[in-house]
Amino acid sequence: MAQSRLEKIGTIFTRVQGLLRGGAMKAEDKPIWYDVYAAFPPKLEPRFDRPASNEPVRNIFYAEDVVRAKLHKQNKSHETISLFDHKRRTQSQEFVQIYDQLKSQGALDEQRIYETALDLLAEQRQKSQPEAVEEQLQLEDPNRSTLLSDFQEADHQKRQQQQEQQQKSQQSKSSKVKQQGVNISSLFKD
Amino acid sequence: MFRKTFNNLPRLSQLYAVPARLQNTQAAQAPTPAEPEDIDVIEQRILKHPDYFQVNNLFTVRDLFNARVHYGHKEGSLDDRMRPYIYGSRLGHLIFDLDKTASHLRDALNFAAHIAFRDGIILFFNRNAINAHLVEKKAMEAGEFSHTRFWRGGIFTNANVQFDAVTRLPDLCIFLNTQNNVMAQHTAVRDSAKMAIPTIGIVDSNCNPNLITYPVPGNDDSPAAVELYCNLFKEAIWRGKRKRRELLGLPPLDETQFKSSRSRSSKGKSG
Repeated sequence: MAQSRLEKIGTIFTRVQGLLRGGAMKAEDKPIWYDVYAAFPPKLEPRFDRPASNEPVRNIFYAEDVVRAKLHKQNKSHETISLFDHKRRTQSQEFVQIYDQLKSQGALDEQRIYETALDLLAEQRQKSQPEAVEEQLQLEDPNRSTLLSDFQEADHQKRQQQQEQQQKSQQSKSSKVKQQGVNISSLFKD
Repeated sequence: MFRKTFNNLPRLSQLYAVPARLQNTQAAQAPTPAEPEDIDVIEQRILKHPDYFQVNNLFTVRDLFNARVHYGHKEGSLDDRMRPYIYGSRLGHLIFDLDKTASHLRDALNFAAHIAFRDGIILFFNRNAINAHLVEKKAMEAGEFSHTRFWRGGIFTNANVQFDAVTRLPDLCIFLNTQNNVMAQHTAVRDSAKMAIPTIGIVDSNCNPNLITYPVPGNDDSPAAVELYCNLFKEAIWRGKRKRRELLGLPPLDETQFKSSRSRSSKGKSG
């Protein structure tokens, strides 16, 4: 079959078109994509030597980036974030929200807004944390045995045993001392 | 190499992987009593419709965003030919303009559906080891082919010698990434252009889109993104195939068989 393998010249469409027009390729040998390509040509011609553009790449910045940068520079974050969790908002997001709310109310200057927002965020965190701990405590079943609780129990028992042994030995020692003392006193008596 | 249209009898071209496909197309050629008009006429008619297979409703820009399609590589690795598709740089990381990606992807899906409608062979490519199995599985589910391993030179350009038979090459190559590794482009991109096979390719910010017929700018590394592309192409291909069988008055294929089939041979029997 007639074919042009020069992929650097023209496009696949122009090369096949040339063959069809020149009669080197018969109309019935036309590749099945030819009509589809003619009906839906790509947005740009797929030429090997299509020149590259030199549009500059712009930077993406948001208005809240200034205060966010300040937050992360001055405070170290110890937060664990799950990337699969799309519902939970991060501390940084919460902070920006509080900051924007305060700013829309006006009244304060920027530094004061920043400080107030930090305080409010800390308050919010404290409010939310005890609840979480309580929930966990409620969830825990006292009768349910876990590996940890088993270990703790075993440890507790061991300690009790040790304490009992110690007490016993102390008692025996003291009784010995007593006995010895008795002996001594009896010796003195003699 | 012979690439014949399916109206051509006797057909000399031969498939190198699935002989069942040959039987299929021959069955399609046989005039059935339910056939209302010639397939050639239908093919020409549906080309006039701007979006015959309704690929527009397959996805939204939000879906692309959720699948992390907008993430490019870092600014230093940018290929200048990708600049028009970049929205901007967020602290050194390039972000794709998803509106442009969506319109390019719709063109590509439409093209793939039309090729599937014309009973073309579609070959999926991917050289990323993380996504290799996913791509192979999805290609199988679409009833098509995949090549995710090392590309021996000459599979396209020297096919008749390599396979020891007259070989029908694929009619469309879909590249889920166009790079062999971070440095070099996949050889099959060049070979497809040589053999006049149209290509669809997901091009990341470090790739060269010039030789790809229908480039789709987008992230080609994340498994979530690659899964989205695979599902979209699979659905587009199935829409084309279903429509063909419907218009030819043939019973629809059982698509679940493609999903459950483990080996090529069982798939060949089923379809």
